[in-house]
Amino acid sequence: MAEPVFVLGGYQTDFARNWAKEGKHISALIVEAVSGALDATGIDPADVGVGHVGNFAAELYTMQGHLGAFLLEVDPAFSGLPTARHEAACASGSIAILAASAEIEAGRYDLALVLGIEQMKTVDSARGGDFLGTAAWYEREAAGISYPFPKLFGRLGDEYDRRYGLKDEHLARIAAINYANAKRNPLAQTRTWYMSEEHARSTDRYNTVIGGRIKVSDCSQVTDGAACIFLASKEYARKYAAARNLDLERIPRILGWGHHTAPICFDDKIAESRDNPYVLPHTRQAILDAFRRAGIADVWGIDAIETHDCFTTSEYMAIDHFGLTPPGKSWQAIEEGVIELDGALPINPSGGLIGAGHPVGCTGVRQVLDAYRQVTDSAPGYQVNGARRVATLNIGGSGTTSVSFVIGV
Amino acid sequence: MPAEAARELRLRHVVVLGANGAMGAGAAALFAAGGCTVTMVARERAKVEGAIAAVQTIAKSERIADSLCGATYADGLDQLCRDADLIFEAIAEDFAAKRALLAEVDAARPPDALVATVTSGLSITALAEERSPAFRAHFAGIHLYNPPHLMTGTELIPHPEMPEPCVRALAETLSSRFGRQVVRCRDLPAFAGNRIGFKVLNEVAQLAERYGVQVMDTLVGPYTGRAMAPLATIDLVGWDVHQAIVDNVYANTRDEAHRAFKLPAYMAALAERGHLGDKTPDLGGFYRRVKVDGRTETQVLDPGTGRYTPAQPLRVPFVEEVRDLHRRGRYRQGIDRFMSAEGEQADLARRVVLGYISYALLRAGEVVDEYADIDRIMAAGFNWAPPSALVDLIGAQRTMQLLERYDLPVPPLVEAAARGEVATPLFRLPFVSPGRYFAG
Repeated sequence: MAEPVFVLGGYQTDFARNWAKEGKHISALIVEAVSGALDATGIDPADVGVGHVGNFAAELYTMQGHLGAFLLEVDPAFSGLPTARHEAACASGSIAILAASAEIEAGRYDLALVLGIEQMKTVDSARGGDFLGTAAWYEREAAGISYPFPKLFGRLGDEYDRRYGLKDEHLARIAAINYANAKRNPLAQTRTWYMSEEHARSTDRYNTVIGGRIKVSDCSQVTDGAACIFLASKEYARKYAAARNLDLERIPRILGWGHHTAPICFDDKIAESRDNPYVLPHTRQAILDAFRRAGIADVWGIDAIETHDCFTTSEYMAIDHFGLTPPGKSWQAIEEGVIELDGALPINPSGGLIGAGHPVGCTGVRQVLDAYRQVTDSAPGYQVNGARRVATLNIGGSGTTSVSFVIGV
Repeated sequence: MPAEAARELRLRHVVVLGANGAMGAGAAALFAAGGCTVTMVARERAKVEGAIAAVQTIAKSERIADSLCGATYADGLDQLCRDADLIFEAIAEDFAAKRALLAEVDAARPPDALVATVTSGLSITALAEERSPAFRAHFAGIHLYNPPHLMTGTELIPHPEMPEPCVRALAETLSSRFGRQVVRCRDLPAFAGNRIGFKVLNEVAQLAERYGVQVMDTLVGPYTGRAMAPLATIDLVGWDVHQAIVDNVYANTRDEAHRAFKLPAYMAALAERGHLGDKTPDLGGFYRRVKVDGRTETQVLDPGTGRYTPAQPLRVPFVEEVRDLHRRGRYRQGIDRFMSAEGEQADLARRVVLGYISYALLRAGEVVDEYADIDRIMAAGFNWAPPSALVDLIGAQRTMQLLERYDLPVPPLVEAAARGEVATPLFRLPFVSPGRYFAG
């Protein structure tokens, strides 16, 4: 069995910022996030062996590709650094982590920098919605459709409704919890916004329907943001711990991972899972793989979850796919308060994509950074007491690419 | 403030007086969003309805009105305040009117109710003169910045007779329940943020008389660490509000920058003729937008003549270089380029920015206890680069040399940092990246 891959911490930018309004190029976002991570960990940039960047669509949003090369803008010590950029829609950040961790496991490098990044507030919401459509099969599912993704995830809710029944009040509760958690997160995009469960339940001139059963309050945010973490071999982690007088046993590591891809078209996914109790079985499998590799019997071996709530329906799906309830009964965990910050198994203490924000290519890295913060008792304001093992679920497209990690000590 | 020592206040019902103004509606939205029931009081029913609609617009929610209840003064303060935990007075910035209303509040308030006034600089002690001892022990100024749902900076100015545990509990409640960046200030004219901010704004307005509006807004523009250029900011705030603040400070303080608070004569004359900035769009302020041949044109005031001429593109080479560095996230290099630029214009810009650092940091110990309070209010109240973050980027020793070069007083903090007696970086507000204030 391969040596574990250690997570040494990192940095997240303030997701409430609008970098275009600040007159910034995407390179500023890269410089701030990576410099912040170097400062937060005290890592010498000369120690970094490789850099991996997760990003969805900088070419569309900012007319800039080749983001790996921009790591060299951060510090002269990065000159010559091997770099790459990874894309799997909203799962891009997790794919970058997988690539970096594979290289650590293979012994190629001892220390990898992983950056997740997206700058999205460069275009209006209709154009941005169209760009996001390229995460689906654009020609078949998105071209000519305004806001294709809310509609696709509305259909995920419809499929739950058809198979098991689904009440919108449970989706409203998911929104309210994520917003409430985000109020405690000093880097969350919506930390100063108004939200209440009553508002999330109602439809009015502010909480309009975006597509199907998805209203504004069911949606994650359009966000500018970046997060940077460092992954290390045991050898580097040992040196890192010794230099800081830390106990190596208390340095978090990637305990398990899972990664699967489903057919890109939503109709094909639903057709494939017709006889399966799980609506998105490949997502379920990614979670089970992560648990198996972590040596965890089931979700109750986890202390908190950072999941992909691009819409309330995706969190509703995550609840039964993680195994908090039998398939189709996610509402039970919502009604019983299990997923709340002080519940038996909090989901999205950070506020998730709905509350904290969803800079698409950044999200997977932000989730793992939040997991790191939870298991090191350093989540500012939204700490889950005593968290030692935290799972993530990051999804690209309409449930297409699923990546799950278990981070723990 | 030591959060661990403070308990949260019981705050269930808030009565907002003057709820139809920007601050009244903003405060009502804030308290309702934090879970309070809010009674919104204005003179006329129509104004109350408008205020409730304004809160819905701020919160982007119709449902927030479920927590609101509208009333007019005709309903009687006794009745309205009967079970109030906090009576929040937010009427216009008029000392006599506020004092008169607070006298009525004194008679109507339940024994435990807190009373707050929102003011950008009137004396809290003077407002409470002749009030009952119980009133004074429950009275504080709460200065919100506009618009309160976007600007989280909040100055808390307790009446000297308010017991310390109560002050701490109020600060803790504003911070943890309502998400405010609370800075406790002494009861001095304009408190901390406006005293520092309007010193800079007025100084730039004075310099505009000689150098021109566009030149000054370019030289002290967003690249120097602010979301908006200074004179455009005065237009947004309103010339009447600007005048009220600088006149108050000029009349009631005697500090090292006294002359900077003297309202320029050209502004006084134009304000007299109704030029109040963005709120008088036809007359304008430093700028105005007019329709010329069917298209909108921005015109700029010539302070010398009082006339407006079309805005011209203005490019100052060193400013463009600094902006380009900021645009790429190279803030330290950007500020270095700014500090080493040559020529009269660079000196002019540096003098204002170094003057800001000096004046701001010297208010620590006078208006607030710690320099971190100054940082917090300039960041969360003005959206300006906090002074200590500028010192970090310039370097403490270089800051000291530049302050001496421009004959500006050197704050003890800068001196100590230059001597290596305090740890650097000086800027330590958690979760705030100073880079956000330096526009590209």
